[in-house]
Amino acid sequence: MTTPSPNPNAALAKAGRYLTFSLGAETYGLPVLNVREIIRLCPITPVPRMPDFIKGVINLRGTVIPVLDLRAKFQMPEAIYGDRACIIVVQLRNATGGSNLIGAIVDTVEEVVQLNDPQLESAPDFGGPPETRFILGLATLSGGVKTLLDPEKVFLTEGLLTLTPPPSAEPKTTDA
Amino acid sequence: MNANHDAPLPPGIPPEASDRIGRIGEELAFVLPGEDDGLLPINHFLLDLEELRGDEIPAAWTEGLKVARGWIDEILDGSGKFTETSIRRFNEWHAYMSSVADSRSEGLGLPAWPLDWAGSGAGADDVSAVTSFVVPVAASGEEQEPACSLNLEEDLELLGEFHAESLELLQTIEQGVLVLESNPTDAETIHSIFRAFHTFKGGAGFLHLDAPRNLAHELETVLDLVRRSERCIDAGIINLILAGADALGQFTRAIGAQLQGTDPGSPIAVPTSDIIRRAKAAARGETDPLSPPPRDRSGNEVPPAPVHPSAEVIDVPVRQSAPSAPEAPSSASFSPKPSVAPVREILGGDSSGGFVKLDTAKLDSLVDLVGELVVAQSMVVENPEVRAIESSQFVRQLRQLRRITSDLQSTATSMRMVPVRGAFQKMTRLVRDLAASGGKKVQLLLEGEETELDRNIVEKLGDPLVHMIRNSVDHGIEPPDERIARGKSANGTIRLSAAHQRGGIVIRLSDDGNGLDPVRIRTKAIERGLIRGDAGMDESDIVSLIFLPGFSTAEAVTDLSGRGVGMDVVRSNIEGLSGKIEVQSVPGEGTTFTILLPLTLAIIDGMLVGVGEDRYIIPTLSIRESFRPQPGMVSTIQGRGEVVSVRGRQTPLLRLGRYLGRPTRAASLEDAIIVVVESGEAARGLVVDELLGKQEVVIKSLGQTFRHQNLLAGSAVLGDGSVGLILDVDTLVKTPTFQHTAATADASNA
Repeated sequence: MTTPSPNPNAALAKAGRYLTFSLGAETYGLPVLNVREIIRLCPITPVPRMPDFIKGVINLRGTVIPVLDLRAKFQMPEAIYGDRACIIVVQLRNATGGSNLIGAIVDTVEEVVQLNDPQLESAPDFGGPPETRFILGLATLSGGVKTLLDPEKVFLTEGLLTLTPPPSAEPKTTDA
Repeated sequence: MNANHDAPLPPGIPPEASDRIGRIGEELAFVLPGEDDGLLPINHFLLDLEELRGDEIPAAWTEGLKVARGWIDEILDGSGKFTETSIRRFNEWHAYMSSVADSRSEGLGLPAWPLDWAGSGAGADDVSAVTSFVVPVAASGEEQEPACSLNLEEDLELLGEFHAESLELLQTIEQGVLVLESNPTDAETIHSIFRAFHTFKGGAGFLHLDAPRNLAHELETVLDLVRRSERCIDAGIINLILAGADALGQFTRAIGAQLQGTDPGSPIAVPTSDIIRRAKAAARGETDPLSPPPRDRSGNEVPPAPVHPSAEVIDVPVRQSAPSAPEAPSSASFSPKPSVAPVREILGGDSSGGFVKLDTAKLDSLVDLVGELVVAQSMVVENPEVRAIESSQFVRQLRQLRRITSDLQSTATSMRMVPVRGAFQKMTRLVRDLAASGGKKVQLLLEGEETELDRNIVEKLGDPLVHMIRNSVDHGIEPPDERIARGKSANGTIRLSAAHQRGGIVIRLSDDGNGLDPVRIRTKAIERGLIRGDAGMDESDIVSLIFLPGFSTAEAVTDLSGRGVGMDVVRSNIEGLSGKIEVQSVPGEGTTFTILLPLTLAIIDGMLVGVGEDRYIIPTLSIRESFRPQPGMVSTIQGRGEVVSVRGRQTPLLRLGRYLGRPTRAASLEDAIIVVVESGEAARGLVVDELLGKQEVVIKSLGQTFRHQNLLAGSAVLGDGSVGLILDVDTLVKTPTFQHTAATADASNA
């Protein structure tokens, strides 16, 4: 496992500092450069007729930002968020040079780690639909394997920007 | 002329004069040869002196001012720096003027006129007569167009200020001209134009921009004569002022471009000699023989229109006339005379108060911070522990805090709102020019210019408006003879209005011209493959085709009498502001464009409604009424859903919770509240659980993530710090309320 992978895809995950967090039993990492801040879980205003993984919007000191449920995004079973649940506010550059802030709910935030090339390898082909396209690579640490996420893919390109609500002419029949 | 010893103030020279003379003296104490320190302040005080008015001003005083003006202009013309000679002269002058002033107040004789000053006695009008000690000035009669270069390294900051200031000055001039067209004797306006040219001259001279300086100087001279009632405003002078302002505007824009880094250091050459020659002729009292054709916005001369009575008809009687000229002749001189009455009212109102230029990013961040403050304030107030405090003094203090924060918020947010007036008034000039060049008679009526809009929207509104006005004047309004033949008044009317409406802002541009021809539009659209030949469309659908890209090609322009020029660009501009544009047209009677600008960037009054656990904001302006339905008010129409009967009108119901896919609390309709909302012609009764109150909210964008939905118009931070979603009423009222045939409805909507 610890063999540095000759796979050219390994270059996807760059050495550097990553913020690690957990969802259920799994541990993930996001490049620190994309993390704007971490805030405590706060009341989230649900936005109707959005895909499940859009949890809603919050007021981040005067700016309204969307919040994603990473569990839903990764098609993991729903869970009650505990006391240690946080919202990681991720900052992304968009095409026009501005920056987008998006929040992501995670179970717990662990730590910031320095990852070097020998610890990094590309994601193996799991052979199925689960979301390998979100994955920059894997990192092996003493504590186990961490999945390094590609913030652009998780938060922007997939779904969100192309997302449209159910067409307005298709009223749902879900009575209260 | 007899000095009255008992009077507290001497007649003639006004009391402020001594103060200005004294301050010039102070400035003179610090000037140095080869330096320009003090030049502008002295120029400024001199200008003040020149503007002072009195009944019995002695000739020596007036001549003294003229001499000093000549010297200052020489310096500004030439090196821009003092020399030993000029400093000596100024000191002499200061002593002389002081004693003139004293002689008035103390009843002494006038001091002797220093012999080596040029232009003593009468006839010092021509400042070039005092050219004796500075670089020769190329002020008159040059045939080649002088170019001037900017010294970007040294003068960067000054140039920036000059540029910003000039833009304001030019606007003052243009607005002033519009006033003069209707009231050519308005002294205050004449003065403001004079002063604008003068200030421009000072700035340009200081920066060694000779060509614009000379131009401004000549125009100033003409205006000065007008100011002193030696000349009267007539069409020739107005055209001259406008031509001059255009040329100065070109300089200013060129400077602006270089400041932005475009082609820095390249010489700026704008044709001025022709205007200078005309100005000199006008100053000599000659009638402008060829009142030149108006210029279009790019500064190119447009060919003179056939129906264009020229200025000299009325000029003759005015030329020699007495100081208080009748105002009738000059205002009658323009055939395409725009309506300027509203402009005048406005100018009357804004003469007081000062302004501070401010970085908009700072302003935006201030508004955000104040928003946070309001939220933090209400969190403190709502805190249970704080509420438990039972002290009437503390409660009073909290109330005080709440009041201040709320005042602060409304002030901060209003700072970003500006009246749409600025954007509208630019159109007055445009209509005037376009009408003149097209040989048409068009008046522009402005309404609701005080309507406030976010400044970002106002700024971006200019281009689409120009485009649409151009279309209206060029192709909508018919030539006068054609209009008369059709039984219309020869004067075409374009009406530009702004109003708060439909939960947003509506800007309407209507003309009483020819209207759009649906038959030709349809033919053209079929030719271009934009619609199918058998497409069933009513007239309003057809005229909307002009917004399609690909409809407005050059060919389409000529074939369709030009309507539709770049209307797709207009639409995309408006949609860039999240707005909408609609067109209605009656062939032969006119066309109306309606621009709906959205809530975003603005503040709205919102009604907070509860649906289940959720809260939504409905713009109060879209709400017609809200009520708790009584049994029997709601009935079901087979296949069409539910309708509620409100005062005899049947309004379709939309169960908001069901529509949004969110749980609701009300068990039956009788427990719920119906909020009737409307947008345009359509209305819906929204079924909600409760009304939670009205609130003024600052609209926040939902951002990129949600840009592909049309259910929500935005969001707002509520008093408890949470986010409330603002419903897009326009979408709601267009939602089909019946389910089984939804697909059909959707298709017809599209």
